[in-house]
Amino acid sequence: MESDFHSKGKDIEVSESGAGAHAVIMEASPFGLQSKKLAIWLFIASDAVTFGVLLFGYSYLRLGSLDWSYPFKGASILNGFIMTVILLTSSLTMLAAVIAAKHDDKRRCLRWIGFTILLGTIFAVLHLREWFHMFGEGWAIYKNPLGGSPVFAAGFFGITGLHLLHVISGVIALSILAIRYNNGVLDKNHVETTSLYWHFVDLVWMFVFPIMYLMNAAR
Amino acid sequence: MSSEREPSMKLYAGLWIVMILIVALEVLVTYRHMPTDIFVGLILILAILEAGIGVMYFMHMKFESPNLAWTLVPITIFVLVMLDQIWPDALRLARLSMFR
Amino acid sequence: MHDAQPAVHHHTAPEGFIAKYVFSVDHKVIGLQYYGLALLAVFIGMVLSWLMRLHLGWGSLAIPGLHLLSRNGAPGNIMTPEYYLSLMTMHGTIMVFFVLTNAPLAGFGNYFLPIQVGAADMAFPRMNMMSFWVTFAAFITLMLSFFVGDGPPLSGWTAYATLSSVGGASGPGEATGQTFWAIAIALFCVGQLLGSLNFITTTLDLRAKGMTLARMPLTTWAWFITACIGLLAFADLLPACILLILDRSFGTSFFNPAGMVLNGQVTKYSGGSPLLWQHLFWFFGHPEVYIAIIPSFGIVSHILTVGARKPLLGGTRVMTGCILAAAFLSYMVWGHHMFLSGLNPFSAILFSVPTLIITIPFTVGVLMLIGTVYGAKLRFNTATLFSLGFISVFVSGGISGFFLAQPSIDIYLHATYFVVAHFHFVMAVASIFGIFAGTYFWMPKMIGRMMNETLGKVHFWLTFIGVYCIFMPMHYLGLAGNVRRYAAFTDNFLVPLIPVHKFITVAALATGAVQFIFLWNLFHTRFWGPKAPDNPWDATSLEWSTTSPPPFDNFGGRQLVVNHDAYQYGVEGPKDYIMQTDPAEAAGD
Repeated sequence: MESDFHSKGKDIEVSESGAGAHAVIMEASPFGLQSKKLAIWLFIASDAVTFGVLLFGYSYLRLGSLDWSYPFKGASILNGFIMTVILLTSSLTMLAAVIAAKHDDKRRCLRWIGFTILLGTIFAVLHLREWFHMFGEGWAIYKNPLGGSPVFAAGFFGITGLHLLHVISGVIALSILAIRYNNGVLDKNHVETTSLYWHFVDLVWMFVFPIMYLMNAAR
Repeated sequence: MSSEREPSMKLYAGLWIVMILIVALEVLVTYRHMPTDIFVGLILILAILEAGIGVMYFMHMKFESPNLAWTLVPITIFVLVMLDQIWPDALRLARLSMFR
Repeated sequence: MHDAQPAVHHHTAPEGFIAKYVFSVDHKVIGLQYYGLALLAVFIGMVLSWLMRLHLGWGSLAIPGLHLLSRNGAPGNIMTPEYYLSLMTMHGTIMVFFVLTNAPLAGFGNYFLPIQVGAADMAFPRMNMMSFWVTFAAFITLMLSFFVGDGPPLSGWTAYATLSSVGGASGPGEATGQTFWAIAIALFCVGQLLGSLNFITTTLDLRAKGMTLARMPLTTWAWFITACIGLLAFADLLPACILLILDRSFGTSFFNPAGMVLNGQVTKYSGGSPLLWQHLFWFFGHPEVYIAIIPSFGIVSHILTVGARKPLLGGTRVMTGCILAAAFLSYMVWGHHMFLSGLNPFSAILFSVPTLIITIPFTVGVLMLIGTVYGAKLRFNTATLFSLGFISVFVSGGISGFFLAQPSIDIYLHATYFVVAHFHFVMAVASIFGIFAGTYFWMPKMIGRMMNETLGKVHFWLTFIGVYCIFMPMHYLGLAGNVRRYAAFTDNFLVPLIPVHKFITVAALATGAVQFIFLWNLFHTRFWGPKAPDNPWDATSLEWSTTSPPPFDNFGGRQLVVNHDAYQYGVEGPKDYIMQTDPAEAAGD
């Protein structure tokens, strides 16, 4: 399988690209990162703008709304808090995986990736459980059964939905990572690159939870 | 990788606890009674703090080349801050609605 | 040469037609694929503009065959007003996205960025291939909107809510057509995002030894900065399109306010704001127009130094600084598209001032270009001519921008033909001139054959005169109050302007016909053009140090060492230029 180029990033450095390739001297990357990691950071910046735009748009409509709803009672907030803790813990387990990979301890790394996948899945399940509970109460992306602004529903399901999509893709990506890391097709750098994506998903939740849940808590 | 002082698992675990405490603080703030704008401001500051810890430590930004942090972060924040020009129109929507 | 492993990739040259020409990971093939897509798109967009212009000049004209294209839009081959708007929407969408964003950036950039930095390919070749095919899928989806439902959308390339956000009730083409449009644009955003990742990473990570950032040619800088803008701008359009789809197909009210009555029925929407769509769209839309122009600006600057045999007056760094300044400012000015939308007047000032400021870096850049050619013994080939033409049309378009930047004047000129003239000059014509200049400059390198200079010069002069005939009168029309996006002119202050429209239509058809000279030139060159040497223009940047066309891994596997910047022209010695890979002892630098 072809290997993409990796710049090691130090000063004019001999860089190789897999067995048999002759070494090529390149200019140093100004960021001192290999290419895949830089690319993930760039993607993260762009995805941050995507979520930012959605949160701004939602807040824009909320500011202009006169009949906002505050449906989240204690149980929902507790559920949200637990979900937050789970996602934070999954970030921690992911870090453990990256450290293990750096020490070339494949077994430990895979175990921690496994925990991360498990926690991510639990997060998704809890989230969906809450959604279906809300559907049962009459909520839909276009409907607010409390009679307040339907933008609440649209914003809530839209934004948390997009985040959930990122969580699920992250879980899938981690699974693929685990399989291929095990086979030696991917290496510890890929573990670190994927972990950056996972941390980003957690980062977004750090904003989604306060904005979508806490600010809509029934106080 | 790029740095000699790699943070240990202990540091990460400690920061994890800090993050959970910040979230708990956010929840507490939610249930205290205070003017809305202070509430929103406080929540956002706490969220940004958490994000900062996440980016700097969990995502390792602190230990990468400073070029990375000094380009990516300001540019992304700049773009988002530029979008702040929309707020005056949002408030106007509310005010206009009152005349219906 | 064959046994040297390509420095970047394991893969040896691909075998088989599909791997070589269809699903190729070679950035050169991908660049040509993008260029080909843009070529197809520009002819479709041009034909659409002919249909529009014919209708504007002769409103009751029956255009043969039109009823085959549209379902209900042209009964008896006479365009309905709604169908005119649909054609206008598709014209704008195709041109802005699939021509102006594709050709100078994805087309030439994909082909030449890796070569100009001395790399064997892009940083992520397979992602590069994916980004092309995603863009192609976006194009197909957009084209399908002509044939699904009751036709293509009619809300303009700007797809303003609530016309675009309530589904079929708001007009023909707004049911399925608009959904296809939104999906196509969302796909396009993804394709561009992947492309930006590649461009940025390649520029930062894959430069050859000695190719410091300061030594990169202007074209590379332009592509790099454009990719940076695009990374964050398309990240805004994607969620906007998603919200639009949610509003249309899932009943949400992001952009739909309460109390709307459609077809006699009160809708159930509540809480949305059409202004939000405008903010989200233009927050993308303004950086987008800089994405459309900056690569062409870089290409033209580069070509003029080659033609003038002089480095840029003021230096590459100043020009790069100007482009960077414009890129930053582009995120601060989007509200100048919204002066009449009921914005807070204070906001209007906040947008107007940066808009006026943004003219400064561009003016400095243009003055640098003029200063570079002033007093130079210019080599007048077609590429140089189009570059000079770029300066002319860019200045023409830019000057009208000064007027539009001021809210007080814009109150009168907004949504008139004055605006149409402005953006066509400064974006459409200027950028296309940059594409033409790049084509005549780089085609010898890309396909290994020289294009016909006589045909090229004829193409240039006729096009240059033609675009002025088309778009100059539009300034007058705008000042006279001619509203844009009207399918017919029946008001008594508009009827006297119809002869001007007829003139413009004739000019448009003629100028369009001239483009077939270009097409013929391309076709003829491909099969019967004289073979091109490695460096027909005596240029210095890295693409001219390899064969025409370049080998599979761009440089035949040799270790590149760069010792000079890209603008060592006018030096003493047997030849008046120093190539970037020439030994360091050569004079200059």
